[in-house]
Parts: sequence; structure tokens; C-alpha cells
Amino acid sequence: MGDLNAYITLLNYIPYILEGAKWSLVLTFGGLGIGFIIGLPVGVASVYGGRYTRLLLNIYIWIFRSTPLIVLLFLFYWGIFPTIGYKVSPLVTSILVLGLRSGAYQTEIFRGCIESIDEGQILAAYAIGMSSIQTFTNILIPQVLRISIPGWSNEYAGLLKDTAICFILGIQEVLTRAKIISMAIGIALLPYFIAGAILMILSYLGIKVLDIFYRRWSVPGLIKEI
Amino acid sequence: MNRDIILRAVDLHKRYGDVVALDGVSISVRKRETKVIIGPNGSGKTTLLKCLNMLIKPDKGRIWLGDEEITNPKINIYKVREKIGFVFQEFNLFHHLTVLKNVMIGLLKVKKMERDLAYEKAVNALSIVGIDRSLYDKYPAQLSSGQKQRVAIARALAMDPIIMLYDEPTSALDPQFANEVLQVIKDLAVKGVTSIIVTHHIDFALEVADEILVMYRGRVVESGAPKNLLSSPKYSITKNILMSGIALSNGLNHGFLE
Repeated sequence: MGDLNAYITLLNYIPYILEGAKWSLVLTFGGLGIGFIIGLPVGVASVYGGRYTRLLLNIYIWIFRSTPLIVLLFLFYWGIFPTIGYKVSPLVTSILVLGLRSGAYQTEIFRGCIESIDEGQILAAYAIGMSSIQTFTNILIPQVLRISIPGWSNEYAGLLKDTAICFILGIQEVLTRAKIISMAIGIALLPYFIAGAILMILSYLGIKVLDIFYRRWSVPGLIKEI
Repeated sequence: MNRDIILRAVDLHKRYGDVVALDGVSISVRKRETKVIIGPNGSGKTTLLKCLNMLIKPDKGRIWLGDEEITNPKINIYKVREKIGFVFQEFNLFHHLTVLKNVMIGLLKVKKMERDLAYEKAVNALSIVGIDRSLYDKYPAQLSSGQKQRVAIARALAMDPIIMLYDEPTSALDPQFANEVLQVIKDLAVKGVTSIIVTHHIDFALEVADEILVMYRGRVVESGAPKNLLSSPKYSITKNILMSGIALSNGLNHGFLE
């Protein structure tokens, strides 16, 4: 029963696969964070910016939304960074690439949310003497952040799964570890199922947390109540 | 210049592409005066009102608020708008803020008032427009249209404006709420709040106005005290508006149109 031994060995390695979740989360939150820092201002600029600003931003969005993640990872790790003379670790490269790509998606999330706020409120803010910046921080942003949560939760789920692709740069995230174990102990499917289950649980938890915030911050009439 | 004049606009012009919205409009408002602007849709009433607090920039013409020329590009326009209360047709309350916070936010952020003082002022403004304390923590979506517009009036009023501009304040209301809003506006006017009101309620206009301005195709075609305008309108357009307005309100009063 050599097989049985292999399964017992697999059991022993579950904590090892689980540890990869840490890196999956680092990649996810790193990417989401950078994406947010890019997405919010770019979203604003893509609504209020001039013609050329918007054109430039649209090119950015187009490139990062339409290029496969693997290509982007290779491009930055083997192409762009070495060319400009920087040695960047696989982890940092992955976070940056995920962040830049998430920024493009989040730009679209925020753009949609900003456009859904009726202009009357902006005029009303001006009418009581608010400056553009005060209107932005007091009227626009609090509403945009609230209504962007469902879109954001989608972005979290998508990004979490995409971190698995970073295995090509050798990041020790869940899937990479599952692959290593699979080859080491000769069990083809089960380690991958375990990796999948871990990602599913992480996905569920993250979405749940965002949903709690969504409900807590929800305001009657601002977003449709579920 | 007459010291009493609070707001004065001279020869305002505004076009949107080929459409001429304002074609040389002048208006001056004295302290405690109530001016009512009437006219058919598209005659430039709303554009005029929005020019007066520079929400819309006129193409040509000059506007003074007191001694200050607000069409001067060097002026801090935010400081100016703080002194002009504006009530929108569509209320435009801030959806994410409660009734109380809608009224307080300008005091806190624009006037940088202490929270306690802002609260006091907001409560005062809300009581003037007859909004009950039980509504303070409601959100705009939970109010009737009449309540929304009264909160919007309170929001403008709380800033201690030197003049109030009302842009068709009852046009977006459910009909049964028009009177409660008109009553608030009338009470304020009677108390001496300087006002310019754009409205389609002719009987209301006749009742509150010190002077009625009739606008047609971007011009003020006729103006005068309600009595004079009613007894001897110079233009047929004035006559039509006045008569149709009165007929409409008579119809409403007699239940023909309900």
C-alpha cells in the first residue's frame, strides 16, 4: 500500500500548503492596495480630466486589462526591470504587476461609481460655498466608496485567484506549494484540490467581510437594499 | 450706487451652442425685496438664476453682490456662493447624510464652525422650515418630496445668506406638497429675507412678489408690481402666462384637474 503512505505524507504537508495562503494574501492585498491607490485618482481623472489625460489613461487601462497576466509578469520581470537596470524580486514584481492591473480594473469600478452620483449634489455643494476639493472629499468620495464595495469585492475574488499565476515567478503561494507536493509525493490531483479549497475559503471570508462593511455603511436610497 | 441694492446684474448674456439662453438680462434686487421671475420653459429663468451665483458663468455681463463684483475672475467664488442661498428644483440633498448633517455640513466645512454652534444653527434653520426633530436622523430617501425641499431650504438658510434664490422650488414636488413649501418661502419673504423666486405658480407669484419679471426667449420682456402687471399687461405673452396660471390654479381649487 505505497499509495496510502503517500496520502499520509500529504496530510503532513497540508500545513506547508496552508502556509502558502500567507503569500497569496500578501499578493492579494498588495495588489488591491496599489490598485486602489492607482484606481481612485485615475477613476476621478478619467471622469473629470481633459481629453488628452483621458486618452492616456484609457491606453493604460486598455493595456493592463487586455494583456494576459503571465505576459505581464514575464514582461516586467525579464523585460522592463532588467532593461531599466533594476533587480526586482519576484515577490515585488508580482505585487507591482497585480497592482497595476488591478488599478486598471479599479479605475473602471470607480469611474462607474463617480458617474452614478448625480451632478445636482455637486452643484448643491458648490452652492453652499464648498470648493472643488471639499466637494470631492465630503460629498463625492463618501458616496463613491460606499457604492464601490460590491465591485471591489468582485475585484478581491478575481485578484485572489490570479495570485496563483504568480507561481511562474516561483512565488511560494498556495498553488506553487501544491505543485511541489504533488510532484514530490506522486499524487496528481489531491494537492491541487486542497489548494483550490484554501483559495475558496479565503475568497469566501474576504467577500463576507466586505459585505459586512457594505451593510454597515449602507445608507437608505444610496444603494439598493438587498 | 443705491446702498440698498444687494444684488445687481447688468446685461447678462449666455448661449449654449446656437441656443441663446440669456440675451441681455439686467436685474437688481433691494434688501428685503422679493422678486419673482415667470415665463415659459426655456425662457432662460434657470440660467439667469444659476448665473447669479456663478454656477453658470455668463458669457458677457457683470454681477455685483453688494459692492463686490462677483463676475471678476480674481474673486474667490466659493466665498461668494456661501452668501447666496440657492434652492434647486430637484432638492439635491446629499444622499449619504442625514437631514441634520445635510444642514450642518456647510457650517462645519465651509464656515468652519464649532460643532455645537453648527448644531444649534442647523436646528434653528430646520425649525424655521418646520422639520420635526424626529426627522433629523432620517436620510433624504426616507423623506417626502415636500420635506426634502424644506430641508434643502434649511440647508441654504443655515448659512445666513444675504439673498435666497429659488429655482422652481415646487416643480419636482408631488402636488400635495407644493403648498407647504410655498408657505415656507412666503413666510421667509414676509420676514424680510431677500429672495428671487422662479416659479410657475402664478397666484403665489402675485401674492408674494414685490416685483414680477416676465422672461421670454432670454429677455426680461416686462416687469412690474403684480397689481400693475395684472391690470395692464403690455405684452400678450404676459397676459397668456398670467391668465393660464390663474386658470390653472382656479381649476385646481375647483377640483377640475385633480
